[in-house]
Amino acid sequence: MEKLKKFEYSMDSCNHCGQCKWILPPKMSGWDFAEICPIHRYHRFDAYSGQGLLNISKEVITGKLKIGEGLENVLYSCTMCGACDVNCKNVRDIEVLETIQSLREKCAKEGSAPESLKSLCANVEEKGNIYGFDAEERFVFLPENFSDDETSENLLFLGCSVYTHPEIALAAIKLLKAGGVSFRIFKDESCCGAAVWRGGYADKAEKIIKANVEKLRERGIKRIITPCAECFGAFRAIYPRFVDMDVEVFHISQILASLVEEGKLRFAPMEKPMKVTYHDPCMLGRLSEPWQPWEGEIKPFGRHEPEKKWRRGFDGVYHEPRAVLKAVPGVELCEMPRNYENALCCGYASRKTDPEMSADTAAERMREAASVGAEELVSCCPFCIDALGETGKTVELCVLLAGQLEEGGAK
Amino acid sequence: MSLAREVYQALEAVVGKRWISEDEFVLAGNRVKTPEVPFTYHSADAIVLPETTEQIQEIVRICNKHGVCFVPLVSGVSAEAFANRPGTVLIQLSRMNKIVEINETDRYAVIEPGVRHVQLYPELRRRGFSYTAAAVGPGGSVLANFTSSSGDHHNQHNASRSNRYLLGAEFVTPEGEIVRTGSLASGAGWFCPDGPGPGLRALMKGYFGNHGQFGIITRIAIALLPCNGPAEIEQEGISPYHKVRMPDPCSKVFVFNYEHIYNVRDAMLKIGEAEIAATVLKYFYLPATLMMTNSADEFWEKWEGGYKEALSMPLVVHLAPRSEAEMEYEEKILLEIVEETGGKRIPREIEQWWDEHMDFFMIVGRLQSVLRLGGGWMPNKLASDSVSHICEVGASVNALLSEFTESGKLFDAPENYQIIPMEYGHFAHIEVLIMWDRTNPAAGRGVGEYRARSRNNDIEKSFHAETPGSLNVSTEQIGPLYCDANVWLRKIKESLDPNNIANPLI
Repeated sequence: MEKLKKFEYSMDSCNHCGQCKWILPPKMSGWDFAEICPIHRYHRFDAYSGQGLLNISKEVITGKLKIGEGLENVLYSCTMCGACDVNCKNVRDIEVLETIQSLREKCAKEGSAPESLKSLCANVEEKGNIYGFDAEERFVFLPENFSDDETSENLLFLGCSVYTHPEIALAAIKLLKAGGVSFRIFKDESCCGAAVWRGGYADKAEKIIKANVEKLRERGIKRIITPCAECFGAFRAIYPRFVDMDVEVFHISQILASLVEEGKLRFAPMEKPMKVTYHDPCMLGRLSEPWQPWEGEIKPFGRHEPEKKWRRGFDGVYHEPRAVLKAVPGVELCEMPRNYENALCCGYASRKTDPEMSADTAAERMREAASVGAEELVSCCPFCIDALGETGKTVELCVLLAGQLEEGGAK
Repeated sequence: MSLAREVYQALEAVVGKRWISEDEFVLAGNRVKTPEVPFTYHSADAIVLPETTEQIQEIVRICNKHGVCFVPLVSGVSAEAFANRPGTVLIQLSRMNKIVEINETDRYAVIEPGVRHVQLYPELRRRGFSYTAAAVGPGGSVLANFTSSSGDHHNQHNASRSNRYLLGAEFVTPEGEIVRTGSLASGAGWFCPDGPGPGLRALMKGYFGNHGQFGIITRIAIALLPCNGPAEIEQEGISPYHKVRMPDPCSKVFVFNYEHIYNVRDAMLKIGEAEIAATVLKYFYLPATLMMTNSADEFWEKWEGGYKEALSMPLVVHLAPRSEAEMEYEEKILLEIVEETGGKRIPREIEQWWDEHMDFFMIVGRLQSVLRLGGGWMPNKLASDSVSHICEVGASVNALLSEFTESGKLFDAPENYQIIPMEYGHFAHIEVLIMWDRTNPAAGRGVGEYRARSRNNDIEKSFHAETPGSLNVSTEQIGPLYCDANVWLRKIKESLDPNNIANPLI
C-alpha cells in the first residue's frame, strides 16, 4: 500500500476543530502568544495548518489534487515542527505529522520538492554536510593540542553546525572534559541525515543512516552524545525507522544535568545576574520522543490491533536543559507561555522555502521572550540560534555553560 | 467552477492580494471530508479574509451585485461553515481577532469573531471573571459560541445559557448595511441587549443562531460571570498528562452514579432548590470515560473493564464556594440530597481524575477525544425546557437508539446524552451525542436514518427536543412545534437577504 494511504484514517478522523493551531488550555496565558502553528499564524488560510495538510493529503490520495500543481507551497512552507501533532494527540489518535511527512516523501519521489532541498540533499551526499562545505574542513576548528580517547565507547557527535558554530563544539568538548566524561570524535563524521529525511527524501536518508550506523558498529560505539538538537532528534526518532540501533543516545544537556547533580560540574556566578528564557527546540523536545513502530489494523471504533504506542510529545527532553541553567548562580530562568511540548518553532526549517514566514516566526518568538523579561534566549539547537539570533540576543546552552565553568571545572 | 474575473478582482481590491485565494490547494483546506453530515457540500470558489467591518460590507455588496453566495466562518468546526452550493465565497473572519474592550466595572467584554476561547478565557480569569464557554476546544470562536451555535456549557447550573449573556452587537446585513443592536444602537454603549435601541437578540441568535443567514456578526459584547478561583491556574505535567488542580477551598468535585434518569431529575431539582454548586451535570457516559483515557485502546480497556457500569448515569457536581464554611455547608447538603435520591459515589480512582483536571473549561477542552472512536459524531436533540420535560426526553433516547446500536451502525451507548440544568434548575438543556465509525459506510447512512426517526418521535410526542436553528430542512419540519418558527425565519430571511446569498442552506 502506498505509504500516504496508510494515514487515511487520520485524514478522515480530523474534523477541523482547530486544536492543531492553538495552544493547549493548560498553557493558555492570554490573547497574545496563543497560536502554535507557525504557518497558520502567518498565512491564516486553513490550508496552512496540520488540519489543512490532512485535507490536502486526502485529496491527493483520492486524485482530486495533483502533486506539482502548487500544493508544494503549503507543504514546504510547513516547518515540520510537530506542534500540530502534539496538540491534536492531546485528545485524538491521529498521526498528523506522519501524514505530512508521507506527503513530502511522495512529493520528493515525484521530483516536486523545492530546489533548495534538492541541493541540500546533494550537499549531504557529496560532501557529508548540509551546507556544501568541504568534508576535509569539518574539524579545522579543533586546536592542535586537541585529543580525544579513541578507545572510548562514547561518541561525541557534533553535527554539521561545526562549520557555522564551532564555538558550540568547543564548548561541548570543554564541558565534557571538565566533567571527566571520556569520548571520541569521528574525524570522518558525516551529516546525521535529519534534514534529508524531513525534506521527504526517505531513500537517501536511509542510505546515510545505514552508513552512519555501520560506522558506529565497526568502531564499537555504545553511546552517542550530541550537543545538536537536530542530530539528537534524528538518532532517537528517525534512525530506528531504518535500523536497529544498539546504541544509547544522549543530548549533552542530559549528561551535564547528571554531572551537576553528582557535583562533578560547578559553575561560577554570572558577572551580573541575568534573566534568561529557554527555547525548547522541536527536535530536542516534542520530536525527540523515541520512534514507536506499529503495523496493524484499525478496527471499528478506533481499536488498534495490536495496541499502538503513541508518540504524543511526552517523552522529549525538556527538564535537563532547564536544570543545568538553574545550576548557574545568577541565572534567573523565566518561562515563555509557549514552552515544553507547546513551544513555538523558531521557523528556521522553512527559511529557504518560505523566508517571510520563517523570519516572522523567529521575530514572534523573540517578542515572546522579551514579554517575560528575558535579556537573552538560551537554546540547544544551532539552527534555532541562527534563526532567533537575527532578531534578538541568543546564546547556545553549552556556550553559556562553558563560559561559566568554575576554575578547574570538576570538583 | 471559479469566480468571474471581475468578481475576484473586486474582492481582491477590497482585502489585498495576500488575503484572498482561489488556489485549489488552499480551497482544499476548507473542503469537507465527511460526506455523511446532512448537507450537500461543494468547494468554495474563493476564500477571503477581511480585517474590518467595512471590508465585510464591501465584500457582501460585491457578492450581492454578482449573485455570489457567501458563508462566514471562523474556525470551521460547524457543519454549516462550508460552501453548500456552487458559486460560493467563504468569508473567514480569523483576522478580525481583537478583544475590543474588557469593562471590569460593568462586567462585559467586547470581542471580534476571531477571538478564541483559549485567548479570552485567561484574560478574563486574571481579572476575576469567567464566561459561558462551550465545549469546542481551545480554538473555537467565542463570538460563534454566543451567536452561531448552541453555546451550551457545563457551568449553566448557577448561571444560564450563552444567549442570555449576549449584549450589544453589530452585524452587517447581506446587503451590506451595518446594524447595531441593544444599547449600542442608541450610542449608550454595549451593556444591554434589548435597549434603549432595537432588541434583535432573538433574530441574531434565537436558540442557536443562524450561521450567517441574516448577515455577518462583526462585534458583540458578552456579559461576564464572577470567577471564584485563582487568577492564574497552575498546571503540571506534559501533554497528554496535564493536571490542573484548583486550590482549596474553592473547588471540590463529586461524581455520583444513578439507576435512572428520573432519580437524576429529582437530585437536580433539589440541588437547584438548595441553590448550591457551580456545576450540576448529567454527563455523557462515553466522553466521561474517553476524557479520562489517552487512546482508543486505553478507552476500550476501561470501558469494558467496568467504567461503562460505574458511569452508566453519572451526575457530576462541582462545588466552588468562596470559603471553607460554605464548602462544608454545600457538601453536607449535597450528600444528603444524593442519599435521598439514591445516588452512589463512584470509585475514587475515577472521581479523582475530575478533581485533578478541574476547571471545567479545561476539561471540556478535551471533549474532542470523542473523535477517537472512528471519528463520526453528531450532537442530536439540543434543546431546553423544564428539567422534568428534558429528563423525559432523555428517557426516550435508549429505545430510539437501540435499533441502530444493535446493528452496529452507531456506537452502543444508549445513555450517551447530557442534561445540564440552568439557573438553579429552572430549566435544562439536553444534548445526545451519537457516534459512529466513519470507515463503515453503513454507519453514515444510519446517522441520517436515526436523525429522521428521532425528529419524527419528537413531533409525535410533542417533545421540545430539537430546536429550530438556521433555516434548513430540519427547521422546516419542526417549526410547527415552535409557533411556526420556520415561517418567521423564512420571512425575515427574505426581507434581509432578498437574493438568498447568505449561507443559503435551503
